[in-house]
Amino acid sequence: MTTLSLTAPSRFWTDAPVFTGLALFLTLSILPVALALQLDPRQWLGEAIWLKPLKFQIALVIYLITLAFFARFLPAGMADNPRWQLFTQAVAFAVLAEMAWIGGAAALGTGSHFNVSTPLWNAIYGLMGFFAAFLTSASFVMAVAIHRNAATGLEPALKLSLVLGLGLTLPLTLVVAFTMAAGTGHLVGTPVTEARLPLMGWSREVGDLRVAHFIATHALHFVPLVGWLVAGRLPDPAARGAVILAALAWVALTFATFAQALMGKPVI
Amino acid sequence: MSPDALFQIANPLALSGWVALAASPLRPQALTLYAGRIVPLALAVLYTALVLVGWSGAEGGFGSLPDVMRLFDDPTVALAGWVHYLGFDLFVGAWAVETARREGIRHLLVLPCLILIFLFGPAGFLAFLALRAAYLGKVAA
Repeated sequence: MTTLSLTAPSRFWTDAPVFTGLALFLTLSILPVALALQLDPRQWLGEAIWLKPLKFQIALVIYLITLAFFARFLPAGMADNPRWQLFTQAVAFAVLAEMAWIGGAAALGTGSHFNVSTPLWNAIYGLMGFFAAFLTSASFVMAVAIHRNAATGLEPALKLSLVLGLGLTLPLTLVVAFTMAAGTGHLVGTPVTEARLPLMGWSREVGDLRVAHFIATHALHFVPLVGWLVAGRLPDPAARGAVILAALAWVALTFATFAQALMGKPVI
Repeated sequence: MSPDALFQIANPLALSGWVALAASPLRPQALTLYAGRIVPLALAVLYTALVLVGWSGAEGGFGSLPDVMRLFDDPTVALAGWVHYLGFDLFVGAWAVETARREGIRHLLVLPCLILIFLFGPAGFLAFLALRAAYLGKVAA
């Protein structure tokens, strides 16, 4: 086997039924939220109030479907392991709790992250930080399991890229997200013109810590993508070297954009 | 989009479902799929969005009749309540048609029940159950 092949979609269901089902559920739940975005005149921090729940729905769907895809490289029988099943169910609970919190806050016309306005909101914010770290830990657990699986059928460079990409996502995200959460908001500096990047909504005039969060969390896409491109095209030691180099470059990019934002500078 | 404009969309949408139900013997599967699933689901999405948008801003609550009446002073919540009627009544209408078809109750007899469900939901539901009881009694006799 030389490359990842997109086999029948049913593999998602057999390899990772909880992640696949939750991804489908979240996709369907986008419908009413997208309509609410059209109907609701309310704003929060200068943006339509339903934009944030929508972004989180899309991001979590991408995360879950990515994990469900990589789940085919887990050791044989892991899908039937009761401890792994319990873990995936707990991750699904954490994802749903995050969405209920972020969507509920939008419905109530208030903030979710950085909302410490009452002891209750403050306590929920703290708990949700823990849940966010927990749901991200699924990528790390899968990195370890794939690393230990001698029978993935993958070329060494490609397997290494999965392990590194999945393995880097949690530590990089934790460093960035917890630094961001320790402050009072995702911006470093006070915007005047409200200039933003389209789609992502990142500030173009002050530091925006969400850039580094985005890059950190997408390690699980970028490094495997490089592995997929080089595996079979380069001879093995060079292919693995390229994967390691790509992983290091991604770490550097994460910290570069992190430092840039902390200094109050926009990404572009 | 204003609640008034959405009202003007939701009503014909529900009405198209009722027409489909009335004509359902022509294309039973497609028309009950449309009236019993597609339109109620579309109305459910609209209802959910309206509640997400309007619920927290509305006064009142579920605790007393004056509270409930105050809830409907808010146009968004009042529209949500109306869409709730439209969606659930149509779903019940489609259930009546499907049940009648399965149990061999003539569509012509179901039609007056459909009109009642359309206008006065629970009264039509009652009428259909009475029709069904009468029909089952006749079959048993």
